[in-house]
Amino acid sequence: MNVVGGVIHGTDLAILVYFLALNSFYALLLVLSIPEIWEQTRLAEDDDFQRLMQSDALPPITLLVPAYNESATIEASVTAMLTLEYRRYEVVVVNDGSKDETIERLRHAFDLYEIPRIYPETIPTKPLRAVYRSRTRSRLLVLDKENGGKADSLNAAINASRFPLVMAVDADTLIEPDALLRLTRPFLLGREVAAVGGTVRVANNCTVKDGRVIDARVPRRLLPGIQVVEYLRAFLFGRLGWNRLGGNLIISGAFGLFRKEYVAAIGGYRTTSIVEDLDLVVRLHRYLRGLKIRYEMPFIPDPVAWTEVPESAKILARQRERWHRGLIAATWQYKGMMFNPRYGPVGFLAMPFYTFGEMLAPLIEMVGWIVTIGGLALGMVDTSFALLFVLVALGYGMLLSIWAVVLEEVSFRRYRRFGDLFLLLLYASLENFGYRQRTVWWRLKAFVTVWRRRHVWGDMTRKGFGKEASTP
Amino acid sequence: MTSRQILFIVALVQGVLLGALIILIILNRWFRLRRSARIQPRRVAVDDSMRRWAAGTAPLAGVLIALARLPSSLAIDALVGWSARVPGERWRELAAALEHQWWARLVRTNGNSARWWKRLECARFLSVGATAADVARLVRLVNDPHAAVHVAAVASLERMESTPLTLTALERLPRLAPTVQAYYAGMLRRSRPVVIQHLLKRLRHTDDPGLARFAEFAVRLAEPALRERMTALADHEDPEVRVQVARALGSFPHRESVAALTRLGADAAWEVRAQAARSLGMIADATTLSLVRGLVRDPVWWVRLRAALALMRFGTTGRNTLLEIEVGADAEARDVAKMILGLPAQALAEFAT
Repeated sequence: MNVVGGVIHGTDLAILVYFLALNSFYALLLVLSIPEIWEQTRLAEDDDFQRLMQSDALPPITLLVPAYNESATIEASVTAMLTLEYRRYEVVVVNDGSKDETIERLRHAFDLYEIPRIYPETIPTKPLRAVYRSRTRSRLLVLDKENGGKADSLNAAINASRFPLVMAVDADTLIEPDALLRLTRPFLLGREVAAVGGTVRVANNCTVKDGRVIDARVPRRLLPGIQVVEYLRAFLFGRLGWNRLGGNLIISGAFGLFRKEYVAAIGGYRTTSIVEDLDLVVRLHRYLRGLKIRYEMPFIPDPVAWTEVPESAKILARQRERWHRGLIAATWQYKGMMFNPRYGPVGFLAMPFYTFGEMLAPLIEMVGWIVTIGGLALGMVDTSFALLFVLVALGYGMLLSIWAVVLEEVSFRRYRRFGDLFLLLLYASLENFGYRQRTVWWRLKAFVTVWRRRHVWGDMTRKGFGKEASTP
Repeated sequence: MTSRQILFIVALVQGVLLGALIILIILNRWFRLRRSARIQPRRVAVDDSMRRWAAGTAPLAGVLIALARLPSSLAIDALVGWSARVPGERWRELAAALEHQWWARLVRTNGNSARWWKRLECARFLSVGATAADVARLVRLVNDPHAAVHVAAVASLERMESTPLTLTALERLPRLAPTVQAYYAGMLRRSRPVVIQHLLKRLRHTDDPGLARFAEFAVRLAEPALRERMTALADHEDPEVRVQVARALGSFPHRESVAALTRLGADAAWEVRAQAARSLGMIADATTLSLVRGLVRDPVWWVRLRAALALMRFGTTGRNTLLEIEVGADAEARDVAKMILGLPAQALAEFAT
């Protein structure tokens, strides 16, 4: 019994230390996000978009749009992408061997005609079936290729792109009209930018017209509603905090701008990766640090893209499991960067944080629950102490979520109604009761999948903006 | 103190913080709504008075009164917004009148502030509201270490004609990042005579590390007065300078340009050859057809592409040359000829840019 008691107390102590260390780091991110959001808000308010639109100084951009079975949203999304407020850009849509009518929808909507391929295949991809241009939209190029996954489609689009900056955008993502102008701000500030990320927000329950979010609303349903808070937390304080530490490891695959020469130099997106955006950013850090090239990968909060998030627990579970599987794969694959002085803050802060604070967190949380419940059952852990500890842990989670709502309120205030604000606060509180524990379970399943060496992508069932939900 | 007590204190602090944050959120929302309700009519008043003044149906005094009633940051936003819609002469009248406004004087003093956001406010104001008396202040702001400040300040060149200010911006140009350089170049283009005189001098300093950047700016200007100096740089040792020369000479159809481009077409750096091919296409001198034809067989894909596109600009002869290449012995040249001949006119025009 003494041995069991010792194990339980030792584990409890280790978990307590882990909890303190991790939460202290979150607190640091939280503190760092304050000056960062203040500076970004000031710069955003003072942008002179009228003058920028007239200037030919801003670098031309290619939007890379992989599309797989996106017939429900493709027309609206591409139309919206073709009417952005930016002087020089092109849109390269890649139909990744869709089984639905994606290519037919595109062909019909944009009056496509076939052209010969006019560029070299810098990054190898699955064979192209055809290349199309549009008779009505000169900015549009459509590639039809055999199915090879998102990363392969992005590589095909990079090959076809003409401009020095490329931006990966999911086909179901709605970009705000001025988002490109805002996203290029770091370039106009003379920064050595290798990649820059913008904010992704939840479009569920928002009013969408002509591929634009015209009225931002917080979803009434619990699951997408809580994801609004999660996205706010991830973008408005997590990544802003990382800006100050210089170790941003995630530029969202749904909305991120990259310097093409660097992406091409590392061979583009890795097709075997489960989470291609994280993998790309880590490899970029490794490549640029390795060559001692001066660079930054900032996140800026005011350019916004809207995306539909899963409304069913089944699809959300698959998504979260896949994200975590990608995280496990990336941290394992690039473990050599960890605590390696060559990689600066990425090696010393970002990689350890993502490994111990994110990747291993569900395992540690599970061990914590088992040991605590076991200890309580055996009478080795004091009940009131355990309850107090759980209360503090939940309170801290709520505090972080509500802090994200505060940042949103003092900066961008996309949700204008008091009702929406109330819902945000409600979801920030409810998140810790049930939802958080379910995500831990989904993330734990990722370890099992990795253990069995399965690499399965989940399908995302989309309603299409402004339409009724299809049967999941 | 026991661990239980520590946890209890943490829980208590958390509770207080949570409560404080929720109150902060609600107070912030309430405060902003009130402020917005108070300010919105004043904004509308500024727009109304501006519209009437711009149409000549109301005196300037009304605009000044309306602007003074707004917080300075919003007044500056209004000025920046309206500056593109009011003709230059009338706008100068407004800028002169603003010199005596108390809030504008306050904003001007922010130009010396230690806080970058204050200096940015001043630079934004001066970008549309500067007068001759502000040149020294603007020179200082153009040399500001904060990028947002000097980028805002240099926009004053859109409305101001000042040699010291132009030269300050021009001297800063080679030290800037590419996008900022392009932005500066756009602003400097408006002060053409001063810029060209200065560029002629700078392009003589062949050992200047900023020479490639000045040459790049000269390309943007496409000014015939710079042709001779640019041609003289065709044999410069820095390939980046030669790239800019090759780009620039396409805008000057002259026999010296053709001679220099012929040399650059055989350059060791492929970037130079690609630009030379493009420029030879722009000039489309019949004597260079065989050279461009030769560049379609270049080992580098980009040079082949540029040369094939250039051939299309030689008219029927160029097109016939490409048709010959399409059935020729060189497989790589054949591929690129096939690609270009298959392009519709619209795609060709886009590729030419």
